[in-house]
Amino acid sequence: MKKLLLGVVLLIALVFAMPLVLSDFGINLATEIYIMAIFAMSLGLIMGYAGMVSLGHAGFFGIGAYTVAVIGQHVANTYLLLLLSVVISGLIALVTGAVFIRTSKFYFLMITLAFGQLLYVLFWQLKPWTGGADGMSVSAILNFGFGEIVSPNGFYYVMGIAFIIFYILLRLFVESPAGKITKGIMENEARMSALGYNVRVYKLLAYTLSGALAGLAGALYAYFNVFVSPDLSGWMFSGQVMVMVIIGGVGTLLGPALGASVFIYLQNFMSTYTERWPMVMGALLVALVLAGKGGLIHWLQHGKSLFVARKRTGEAVSQQPVKKGEAVH
Amino acid sequence: MSLLRVENISKSFKTLQVLRDVSLEVNPGERHVIIGPNGAGKTTLFHCITNILPIDSGAVYLDGKEISKLPAHHLAHLGMSRTFQKNNLFGDLTVEENIHLALAAKKPYRYDIFSPLISRTDIRKETNDILEQWEISNRRHVKVKHLSYGEQRLLEVLLAMASNPKILLLDEPTSGMSPAETAQTSEMIQKLPRSVALVVVEHDMDVVFAIADRITVLHHGEVILSGSPDEVRNNEVVKEIYFGGGAKKHA
Repeated sequence: MKKLLLGVVLLIALVFAMPLVLSDFGINLATEIYIMAIFAMSLGLIMGYAGMVSLGHAGFFGIGAYTVAVIGQHVANTYLLLLLSVVISGLIALVTGAVFIRTSKFYFLMITLAFGQLLYVLFWQLKPWTGGADGMSVSAILNFGFGEIVSPNGFYYVMGIAFIIFYILLRLFVESPAGKITKGIMENEARMSALGYNVRVYKLLAYTLSGALAGLAGALYAYFNVFVSPDLSGWMFSGQVMVMVIIGGVGTLLGPALGASVFIYLQNFMSTYTERWPMVMGALLVALVLAGKGGLIHWLQHGKSLFVARKRTGEAVSQQPVKKGEAVH
Repeated sequence: MSLLRVENISKSFKTLQVLRDVSLEVNPGERHVIIGPNGAGKTTLFHCITNILPIDSGAVYLDGKEISKLPAHHLAHLGMSRTFQKNNLFGDLTVEENIHLALAAKKPYRYDIFSPLISRTDIRKETNDILEQWEISNRRHVKVKHLSYGEQRLLEVLLAMASNPKILLLDEPTSGMSPAETAQTSEMIQKLPRSVALVVVEHDMDVVFAIADRITVLHHGEVILSGSPDEVRNNEVVKEIYFGGGAKKHA
């Protein structure tokens, strides 16, 4: 818990310090990064804590985005729209997940891919409501009751705070009994079943939470981007968010967020030099996967543990060995 | 009344019949050992009793209630627990966290998604009790994959015991162990409280005769004898199977 508190304080400091050094373009980029970080964390949750690799996660992102775009034409309340996005994408995750979790590994990958593409085609075909391939602009305006939020800085803080809130909620989940049990199921399903756990309930729970959160990220994105298109549900985008998770580090929460930052930054940075930026991204991904399993976050942790270990051994000469509580994590 | 009753169960994998009309009874607190040469169907029998594999015919009763159609995770709640032949632990978790997972299965808060598991005082206390009872408190923060093989097998039994089962199925608890570890494990099994009945698959005859109240001999998927250790020791057919080279088919 102390660790969580420290992490949150650091994140808050980061969110509030960044505008001091960033240009307008940088603020915009950081805002997008926060949204993508929420999305990447949602996928990271099922990939790293439940062992489910989905190639259709953008489907939920699209559902959330279109909820704000379509229903937002008639409903102005931001809270209601965000709630609707979460509930609709969560419900769809619950219903489809009940079928999907019966498959595993490659079959899960394929069936989620099909799910994402189905939504992609649906948004494309429902032209009267969604504008079809042309997409549609979002008329709903972000307003939490303190006035309309339209400035880049306003968006920046909203998304930054949303990122922190959902990081905390996810952290609580992975430390909770249900979260620990889900992780146990990922490591050893037969054993957890023999211990008396209904493994499907936990898998479905994780999938539903993940889908709901991806929907929320999509809803936030719709407000931010004021334009949605079927591509938000396409397999390319599902693949990109998976790359974010892998670059950052599977099995952690901040890893995918870090991966999202690197991905979005490089995407914007490199695309000013060359149209072929995905090649550079691909090379980076290959290098990362070959050089170190576990992604960027594990390198950071490794560096930290080296530093801490050196400090510890230095202290150990004069002090008692490691105290009881310290060896836990 | 018997605690566990296995009635005429059969199991085939495609054309290979692994179990043929196997029946078995285990009384409360009994130490029931199942022996038989490799391929006799012992582990399959365990998988069928614990519903990891569906049976083709027959039935399994626990406390008079038919359990052969229930999903595997229900059995733990009815008081049946098991270990696996291969180590089947959570390698990246510590000893303590493994025990947490075993204990939480019966807690009402097992579906809680907000408050940290380690903030629960009851689970911390029960974990401490188990660690002290088995004298492994000093290993609590060690990741399971760093434990010795013998320690891992011990933890395996301990996790299965965490739910306070009425009946515990141990699948080859001493397989792959050194003679010293085997002796230790045998001693540990003998120390388990009589409130739990044991069904044990075992190859090591010293262990078998040290713990068994009753022995069932399985051969080619059939029960050829079920009786006291003395009956089994002096049975001609059993001697034939174990020592006679197996050229002659059993009667």
